[in-house]
Amino acid sequence: MNNQPLIRLKAITKRFKGVIANDAVDFDLYPGEVHTLLGENGAGKSTLMHILSGLVQPDSGSIEIRGESVNIRSPYDSLRHGIGMVYQHFALVPNLTVIENIILGFEEGLILNRKRTESVLKQIFKEFELSLPLDEKISNLSVGERQRVEIAKALFHRSDVLILDEPTSVLTPIESEELFNTVFSMRRMGKAVVFITHKLKETIGISDRISILKLGKKVAEMSGEDLRQVGEEEGYRRIFDVMFDNTQLPKDTTTIKRSSEEMPILELDQVVCLGNFGEMRLKKLSLKLNKGEIFGIAGVDGNGQKELAEILAGQRKVVSGRLILDGNDITHEEGAGTRTDLGISYITDDRMQEGCALSMSVAENSILRLFKRPPFSRRKIMNKANINRHAEALIREFDIKVSGPDVDVGTLSGGNIQKILLARELSLHPKVLVCNKPTQGLDAKTTRYVKDRLQQESVRGTAVLFISSDLDELLSCSDRIGVLYDGELLDIVNRCDANRENIGKLMLGIRQ
Amino acid sequence: MKQILYDKAAPAANSILSVISAFVVGGVILLFIGKNPFTLYGQLFLQGMGSSLGVIETIIKMAPLLMVSAGLLVAFSGGLWNLGVEGQFLMGAILTGWLAPKLVPFLSLPVYFITLGGIGFAGGMIWALLPAILKARYNLNEIIITLMMNYVALNLVTWMVKGPINDLSVVPAQTKLIPMTHRMPMIPFTRIHLGLIIGLIVIIGVYWIIRRTTMGYQIRVLFANKRAAIHTGMNVKRIIVWSLLTSGGFSGLAGAIDVLAIKGLFQGGWNPMYGITCIPLVFLARLNGWAVIPLSYFFSFLVVGGEFVARDQGVPVFFVHVLEGLMLLSFAAGEHIGKGRVT
Ligand SMILES: Nc1ncnc2c1ncn2[C@@H]1O[C@H](COP(=O)(O)OP(=O)(O)OP(=O)(O)O)[C@@H](O)[C@H]1O
Ligand SMILES: [Mg+2]
Repeated sequence: MNNQPLIRLKAITKRFKGVIANDAVDFDLYPGEVHTLLGENGAGKSTLMHILSGLVQPDSGSIEIRGESVNIRSPYDSLRHGIGMVYQHFALVPNLTVIENIILGFEEGLILNRKRTESVLKQIFKEFELSLPLDEKISNLSVGERQRVEIAKALFHRSDVLILDEPTSVLTPIESEELFNTVFSMRRMGKAVVFITHKLKETIGISDRISILKLGKKVAEMSGEDLRQVGEEEGYRRIFDVMFDNTQLPKDTTTIKRSSEEMPILELDQVVCLGNFGEMRLKKLSLKLNKGEIFGIAGVDGNGQKELAEILAGQRKVVSGRLILDGNDITHEEGAGTRTDLGISYITDDRMQEGCALSMSVAENSILRLFKRPPFSRRKIMNKANINRHAEALIREFDIKVSGPDVDVGTLSGGNIQKILLARELSLHPKVLVCNKPTQGLDAKTTRYVKDRLQQESVRGTAVLFISSDLDELLSCSDRIGVLYDGELLDIVNRCDANRENIGKLMLGIRQ
Repeated sequence: MKQILYDKAAPAANSILSVISAFVVGGVILLFIGKNPFTLYGQLFLQGMGSSLGVIETIIKMAPLLMVSAGLLVAFSGGLWNLGVEGQFLMGAILTGWLAPKLVPFLSLPVYFITLGGIGFAGGMIWALLPAILKARYNLNEIIITLMMNYVALNLVTWMVKGPINDLSVVPAQTKLIPMTHRMPMIPFTRIHLGLIIGLIVIIGVYWIIRRTTMGYQIRVLFANKRAAIHTGMNVKRIIVWSLLTSGGFSGLAGAIDVLAIKGLFQGGWNPMYGITCIPLVFLARLNGWAVIPLSYFFSFLVVGGEFVARDQGVPVFFVHVLEGLMLLSFAAGEHIGKGRVT
């Protein structure tokens, strides 16, 4: 490893209204290293990296690149200095193709020298173990592929530094492995990677160095090698100690088993539905959900999970088949509002585009489903005091890092926005709770809390449909796991019979 | 504390800066067409704000601006770009001009005014109905459709006053004159008609509805994120139709009151083009009902003062519209720069 850091952030401080996001943070990045940033939701990780990528200007502190002090005033500046960033909530132009998106913003050679660009990209793909369909439109790509487009874009710009903000929270385990391969080849090439994550396993697995932020301050720096040496358990403990104030993580209660009697509450009978382009997404799917059970839906993304959630939530039409809730046929009682009233809640996996109104306050977002009911409104007049009280209660209960209920949701950190969704839907105490990747973007402590809450809901009698592409998560808290493959439920496995191998095989469409 | 003050002041600052820079750019344009901007602006302010005639005219003209802005506020708060206020205004105006003389013998004064207000409102709503349905049902772009409806309205009313509802006793194409006893009453001890009070009540009322009622809340959510509105079970189609119709209704009401208070009849070719004035106005007010009031005064002053100056200095009347357009442009530019800085 080199002695001169590629990047040196010195005493970076950034205040937003009412919060200090970064408090005199020092951060070094050396060529050929993977430097991981850890910290609770709202600790200031994204902000620190936004400062490096020019999206946010620091209040004070300095940035040195290869020993030279620089001012980074815009993302364009930072790109010129060889810094590329894949944002937590990234945005590509959906109507352009992959190759068009990659060259977008390239001043020189905008007159598409297609052949040359293509050969450069092919070379990059080979070197960094990426693969992408160059002429596909972005709108047809999965989240994982879109992320790879962002990475390819940074590499195409010859960036020496790649910042990845929670890349794996939207990836399947297989996609994550592929991403790590790319990261490793970057390290081999002497490039530096900043990696933000909440997953400790991968942190220990891939990091050379780990910095931990807490309430905007840097509280520790560790060596990845040391942690690998002491073993996983001890490694986790050391990280938790600093991250969560020496409090041990509460024991995983999700393994405690309740006696569940078989009382179907929701039944899907030969349900067929179409996707956005008229293609068949659910193919005569039948399923019975019991009262008080957590039913996991495993599967590789894009096999009908979203459609399954949406037909239950009333956001998507059922073409044929029936939905039966508590013995009543509700197939044609469509609309998300109707289903909420019937007792079905839905936590979407798309918190930014669908789950929240980012330009509205936390209070206004907290009652999106409840605003018609007293005490939030009476005779069509909203009661601001009651709404604020409700929001404050949710903020406390879910430990949402925000200075008050009047703050716009868009200014919250990713994990805290996710908490708003969870708080909103769980506060409805539904009969059936559909959740699609409910823990994405949450820190370890909150993830545990959410799993506990789901458990509590199920003990109360709620049937939880838990959709996730994270097998470990599913195995840790589902009573039964159904595997969705190409719009069909390939098999349903009881908790005691389920393991990584048999579910993993089913996810690839292989029946035993 | 300082931070908070700054945050409150910054939006207003951009609005004020846009006004100033519009005047500067407008001045350059004046230089190009060989006019002295200083004398021209000097006279604009002198006559528009310095003379009692100018001030009273300005205050009178605020009434339609307030009502049209209220209508725009309803639509814009939901991200529905109703650019058809001119047509909606004309429909309200012509229905009132046509029906008022017919109603005079039958209704007592209060009932007469309320009925005609309702008729004007309905006229505006009817003209917003087609764009509303097309937007709600087929998600067709309301900007283009409302804009096209203006041209249809303009031709329709011209044809109507020439033919079906023409007052045959006079030569010009116009409706029957409303008797003076049945015109809009004045605010006691002034020369200003009651429309101003109605306008003030309407803008404050509309703003209250947007901030405080469940319908207003849904309108704002629709603007902030339509998918979130659908996701959380709001009836997006109903919200779209409701807010576009209400928006049209207030423009129609403005038309009714202008006929009842100022014109006394509907005249072929009459089109005060309040849309062109009110669209920049509502943006500069940042969709804040309270800010609409002083801005209405200012824009009304521009229109009134502009008319005076146009007469005296030989500058086209639409120079004021150029100024208004420039304000909107610099406002948009200011917002863009501001955005880049803050995030
Ligand atoms: N534009 C903004 N305006 C106001 N506050 C902001 C803004 N951006 C971030 N913050 C605040 O700064 C703090 C740090 O946010 P940041 O996004 O850096 O957290 P994070 O560590 O990335 O969290 P997460 O793990 O949830 O993504 C949060 O309290 C957040 O609300
Ligand atoms: Mg973040």
